[in-house]
Amino acid sequence: MTTLDHKTTTRPVPNPKKSLITKLNMGTGIILGVAFAFGTYYWLKSGQDMSRPNNVNKVLIVTMFMWSLGFMIGIGAFIGPFRWLIGKDLTPEEELYLAGDGQGIKRYFKYCTDHKVVGIQYLVGVMTLLGVGGTMAMMIRTNLAMPGSKLVTPNVYNSLVGLHGITMIIAMIIVATGPFGNYIMPIMIGARDMAFPRLNALSWWVLFTAIPVLCSAWFLGGIPTGWVAYAPLSVQAGPGMNAFLCTIIIFAVSTAVAGMNITATVVAMRAKGMSWNRVPIFVVGATISVALAIPAFPTFMLSMVQTGLDRTIGTGFYDANMGGSGWLYAHLFWIMGHPEVYVILIPGVAVLMEILPVFVRKPLFSYGAAIAGFAGIAGLSAFVWAHHMYMSGWLPMFNGPFMVTTEMISIPTGLIFLVMLGTLWQGRPWMKLPMLSVYAFLWNMLIGGITGIYLSDVPADNYLHGSMYVTAHFHYTLMGSALTGAVAGLAYWFPKMTGRMLNERAGYISFWLVQVGFQVLFLGMFVAGSEGQPRRVADYAHMYAHADLISTIGAYSVGTGFIVLLWAVVHSWRHGKIAPMNPWGAKTLEWTVPYPVPLTNFPDDAMPVVTSDFYGYGKAVK
Amino acid sequence: MSSHDHDEVMAPTPGARFTAFFKRKDVRTSFILGIFFTAVFVVLGAVAYPKWMPTVMSTDMKGIERLMVMFTYISAPVCGVVLGVATYTFMNRHTGDTPPPDAPAIRTNRLTVGLWTLVSTVLAVMAILYGLIELNSANDAAVADSKNALVVNVTGSQWVWSFNYPAQGITTHELMLPINQPVQFNVVSTDVNHDFWPVQLGVKTDANRIAVTHLDTTPTKLGKLDVKCAELCGLYHAYMETNGEIMTSADFNNWVTAQGGHTA
Repeated sequence: MTTLDHKTTTRPVPNPKKSLITKLNMGTGIILGVAFAFGTYYWLKSGQDMSRPNNVNKVLIVTMFMWSLGFMIGIGAFIGPFRWLIGKDLTPEEELYLAGDGQGIKRYFKYCTDHKVVGIQYLVGVMTLLGVGGTMAMMIRTNLAMPGSKLVTPNVYNSLVGLHGITMIIAMIIVATGPFGNYIMPIMIGARDMAFPRLNALSWWVLFTAIPVLCSAWFLGGIPTGWVAYAPLSVQAGPGMNAFLCTIIIFAVSTAVAGMNITATVVAMRAKGMSWNRVPIFVVGATISVALAIPAFPTFMLSMVQTGLDRTIGTGFYDANMGGSGWLYAHLFWIMGHPEVYVILIPGVAVLMEILPVFVRKPLFSYGAAIAGFAGIAGLSAFVWAHHMYMSGWLPMFNGPFMVTTEMISIPTGLIFLVMLGTLWQGRPWMKLPMLSVYAFLWNMLIGGITGIYLSDVPADNYLHGSMYVTAHFHYTLMGSALTGAVAGLAYWFPKMTGRMLNERAGYISFWLVQVGFQVLFLGMFVAGSEGQPRRVADYAHMYAHADLISTIGAYSVGTGFIVLLWAVVHSWRHGKIAPMNPWGAKTLEWTVPYPVPLTNFPDDAMPVVTSDFYGYGKAVK
Repeated sequence: MSSHDHDEVMAPTPGARFTAFFKRKDVRTSFILGIFFTAVFVVLGAVAYPKWMPTVMSTDMKGIERLMVMFTYISAPVCGVVLGVATYTFMNRHTGDTPPPDAPAIRTNRLTVGLWTLVSTVLAVMAILYGLIELNSANDAAVADSKNALVVNVTGSQWVWSFNYPAQGITTHELMLPINQPVQFNVVSTDVNHDFWPVQLGVKTDANRIAVTHLDTTPTKLGKLDVKCAELCGLYHAYMETNGEIMTSADFNNWVTAQGGHTA
């Protein structure tokens, strides 16, 4: 925990001659990271026979990790731990400096422990990742506009599919808990900062080092495996695969750190009087989501460590010739993979639930049902992974039980619909941008949820598995539902995070372009899937041409809509209308602090005390 | 939803209360909208899936199409409720720069939460039972047919399918099958994971390197067959497809002979 010295009245700056901290930033990180990477590469390369793929993999993997390590040293991530090692700690002045006090825009490029800075860093990072992933999606759809298209080679196409997948998955995992979980959530619970501010900075900058690693996959020949990276294809794949597996391992570290930090903050640092039944629903959702990620991601990391060992020193975890099994990989992957989709979905839903009562001027309908819905989904999600493996043949007699657990998830999901509809009922929703997203969510999640029931059914999955139907289904849940929730959160919290209102007209234009285009895009894909088009194909038969062309047209509308949103965000951030302190008339604590939010959020003599929950809207009923 | 209405005095008997509840504008409009959306989804289920899905050429595919239509029917009322209520509140929206007036502070409603949970549980159980029964009957049929089944050993390699007919002693790259004769596929891979998918037969299984997987079905209709790979298997995954045909047993025997095999 930061031990800020609140009694200091002046702003102490550490002696610039003495303190290393003031000299380190992103630039020094990159310099040291690149130096580490090049040094490692040429040093290791000299003693190896580089015509053997195993040796190439070895050199590349170590190089990538050394980049990450070098960057973290260069940005000063280990100054604190090093001080502990020699029996000292940072001085209060240095702590205050690390929190970015009075450093203006520079603090966004430093190892800054202020949760608000980390929140903005995550927001920009997420938008960058979504932009990159979205561009790849547009290239995929452009290639699929017509059968026989030769726009990209099959190798580039497969890489596009895989890297679009993993970029979007990483972006979506942090899309709500990153920006809003870091910026808004601590204020929402009445805390001064996160429980572990230095770990908070660590989680962001570790994630940052994963981005160049992921991008390097393009320069190393791409990946042929899709984001699931099934073995043995991943073991056989070219050097680009090393970038993929290093990205996952680095990302898993970041997620673990962030997950622990958010959980600890919510458990330990809530304001006086904020008992568990008074915690805002977004905080509950974000906490359940990261708590679900904590046990899930290590298996993904492990699966990638094993892939790496198979690729470098020739172990046989996934190699049938050496007694290994691709099924082992599939299990490890999906034991992470299915909880992971709910790690993505739950915060998005929670954002919308937080928004609803504000714009309908009614209490959240049945807080208990909302918690039960989240907890039920999270609990069941640990027991459904093998529904991705119905057709793998690993144990057909287990298909029945996994079908039962999977379809039971529709019960807690139903509770989420109940909470939203119950809150809308008898209300007159204030049709601002965040509120529109609630309606988009209800429709998209309905389609995504119901098609999920078809897919969870073993006989139907006999036909639908591995088809475009699956792709359409999970885009409805992840993009149509979770991303819609995150965009609503951006529109809702934009005034608090930037001090300005998001441009409304551009927001509406973007909303309709995205949502209408989305329906065209993925309803077309449902048709292609029902007709029998496999997913992840660079080319397809003429019989699917109509459905695919329709999808591509929808995709262009979605792409245009997101460009408009990006413009709105950038423009409003600089020139938008100055926002009042509480533009929506909301009751949660983040709206009680001014912009710019003070370093410690709340004044010393006025720490918030909570006496009721935050949903006391509306007039009494008889 | 709440049965409390702030504008009216509560009616004395449950029957009268129900009537009064139903006479409310929001309840009535939501209900009518709900019926409309239910009907839309029923029509969609009855028309769309049979139209989109390919020719039914096996008992399994028949069952799948029936199941897709049936699940759409089961979920249609759910869509009706959700979209009915959502659309009504959307029609009743408030615009402008000031917040809307305060709405009734309904915290929860035990009856609604209980009923909602009960109904969604019943629907989920129905879907589960329907699927389990369908799965079980497919398994039973497979066991019953296994004795006189035509055996085809399917091998997936990057990026080609091979079909070996052991009893006939031939190996080809096209999947020819006689009509109304049960067939058993034994599927294996020589390299990475593939997924053997004879589309119109409505069955599918991974081709693994580590073990042989089995599929059983009975073709029931003459016609062309598409065989695809449904698991990303590297560079030419998209092109790992081949043709096939369901033919009469006489035609099948002729084809076997022409390939140099021996008929039973």
